[in-house]
Amino acid sequence: MRSGYFKETIAEQIALTDSWAVRAWVIALVLALIVAPFYLNPFYLSLLTTIAITVVGALGLNVLTGWTGLISLGHVGFMLLGAYAYAIPVALHGYDPLVGLLLAGLVPALASLLVGVPSLRLTGLYLAITTLAFSFIINHLILSFDGFTRGARGIFVNRPTILGVSFQSDAAFALLCLGFAAATLLATLNLRRSRIGRAFVAIRDNDTAARVMGVNLHAYKLFAFVTSSFIIGISGALYGIFLSFVSVDGFPFVLSIQALAILIVGGLGTALGAVLGSVFIVLLPEVVNLGFGVLGGEAARAISTGAHELKSMLYGLVIILFLRFQPHGLVGLWRDLKRGWVNWPLRY
Amino acid sequence: MTFLTELIVSGLAIGAIYGLIAMSFAVIYKATGLVNFAQGEVAMIVAYVAWTISVHVDGNPFVVAAAAIVFAGLFGLAIERLVIRPMMGEPVFTTIMVTIGLAVVLRSSIVFLWDAYPHALDLGVGQEILEVGGVRLRSGQVAVFLILIAVIVGFFIFFRRSRFGVAMRAVASDDRTALLMGVSTARVQSVAWAVATIISGIAGVMFAIIYELSPVMFTLGLKAFPATILGGLDSVLGTAFGGLVIGTAENLVGGYFDPRMKEVAGFIIIILILMVRPFGLFGTRRIERV
Repeated sequence: MRSGYFKETIAEQIALTDSWAVRAWVIALVLALIVAPFYLNPFYLSLLTTIAITVVGALGLNVLTGWTGLISLGHVGFMLLGAYAYAIPVALHGYDPLVGLLLAGLVPALASLLVGVPSLRLTGLYLAITTLAFSFIINHLILSFDGFTRGARGIFVNRPTILGVSFQSDAAFALLCLGFAAATLLATLNLRRSRIGRAFVAIRDNDTAARVMGVNLHAYKLFAFVTSSFIIGISGALYGIFLSFVSVDGFPFVLSIQALAILIVGGLGTALGAVLGSVFIVLLPEVVNLGFGVLGGEAARAISTGAHELKSMLYGLVIILFLRFQPHGLVGLWRDLKRGWVNWPLRY
Repeated sequence: MTFLTELIVSGLAIGAIYGLIAMSFAVIYKATGLVNFAQGEVAMIVAYVAWTISVHVDGNPFVVAAAAIVFAGLFGLAIERLVIRPMMGEPVFTTIMVTIGLAVVLRSSIVFLWDAYPHALDLGVGQEILEVGGVRLRSGQVAVFLILIAVIVGFFIFFRRSRFGVAMRAVASDDRTALLMGVSTARVQSVAWAVATIISGIAGVMFAIIYELSPVMFTLGLKAFPATILGGLDSVLGTAFGGLVIGTAENLVGGYFDPRMKEVAGFIIIILILMVRPFGLFGTRRIERV
């Protein structure tokens, strides 16, 4: 009888996977995702693109909130900065989209130092409050400097042509976003395995102990801020391109909440959780729509008049219910299932 | 000079509203150790319920006030029992997120249950123009200031004199010891929620009377935040002062610098305060070094 897996070296411990079955599944999934954009209808394609962009943003927040344990309500602020850092040079001044994408990461990363440095002394609640304040200040700065940002009028953004490859069509743009999502996933997974990632988790679990072990709290917290806002900024730029219009209204505060909801639903502190959570949260309103459609009549009418409200109400409910009944999120559910499958009929 | 006094006086009036909500933040924080990010939404719900009642009973202000206060109390108890109590003892992240989830649910239920348009909450009072020393004010603005003072005095006496107030202070300073001494912390916490909901409900109703009733009223909670931090999260009376300061500061910034900066003035203050004195002006200094 199998009595569990034992790992004997650090290399085995931090390997992404040691199972051929998992590798095969991942390859199959990647192939399916590469082919899918060419076969999906426009509606499902837009959902796929949204999921890919959301995955990028959620993974970014996961670095800060999931691994380092710093709560941030400023997600939408960094997304806005990224979107504008892309839109202003590219759409208004005709720079190359590559420059724009780079700036979309760098500008929020620099701005995060502005929030990060004063926030170093703060934890938990207080950090949530400063980041919340930050996102509101960004919002108002963008509206105030309308000579530079076009204020409330917003900026139209075209799909980019990068290195001679046009991402004009929906399918090509979906592939671009999927590429970014995959790259971010690999990058953050590898960051987690490195010395830096382990320091992040040490800070999250017990900052005093981490400090005693020689982790420089200030440096690592700042690094978490910078990395996470770099990634979130890029997701903001992608979202702006996806909407083809960058404005303050396109990035409502609910995106910050949505990002946290994704982490909670997926399972806080795991990259897989960020991905599963993104899929779940993006598809949730559609599934509910379907459900109400089946009920028909009165229910369908209610959902079409109050669709937007119902959608955000769902985010709130999902957050509360998951925290209450499944704090480890979908990843926890998956782990329990796996354990149950392997050990059945025993209970451990 | 009149411009300045006018800015200050109307700033004090809106500041009194922030102060009331900030006090409700502090009451909940003191009793349960959590910050309720849904406080603005709670104020908004109570104001909407008051409006619905006033439409149906044809506006006797006393009936409306009594009914709204009863509703607010029950609403606070219900939130505490159904949403908050099961989560007590969980990490900070969890409790914050639960109140954020609650905020989102309440905020969207406003538009879902009522509608998205602004309304006037007309009780036939609060609109008269008073002239005090050359400054023209609506009586509602004076009233909200007086209510703030009444609530402050009430709290002061309550915390010092009443048995229950002492129990609340005991729970706030050390809930385990209080429990061992025979104080029912659960009861103290539910009462704190009820009281906080009533206070912020009063603030919401006063705001609706003086200005207007609309689904963006939840921003009152966000505005009261800087006030709470300024006064000190665990100082109920300090936060009332914080509210007045933030209200006045906002108005002065809006009047003398840039009207658009008015909205974010409070948030800039909050960041500055958190850098210098994270525990606020009157809060207890917690020793927490990173």
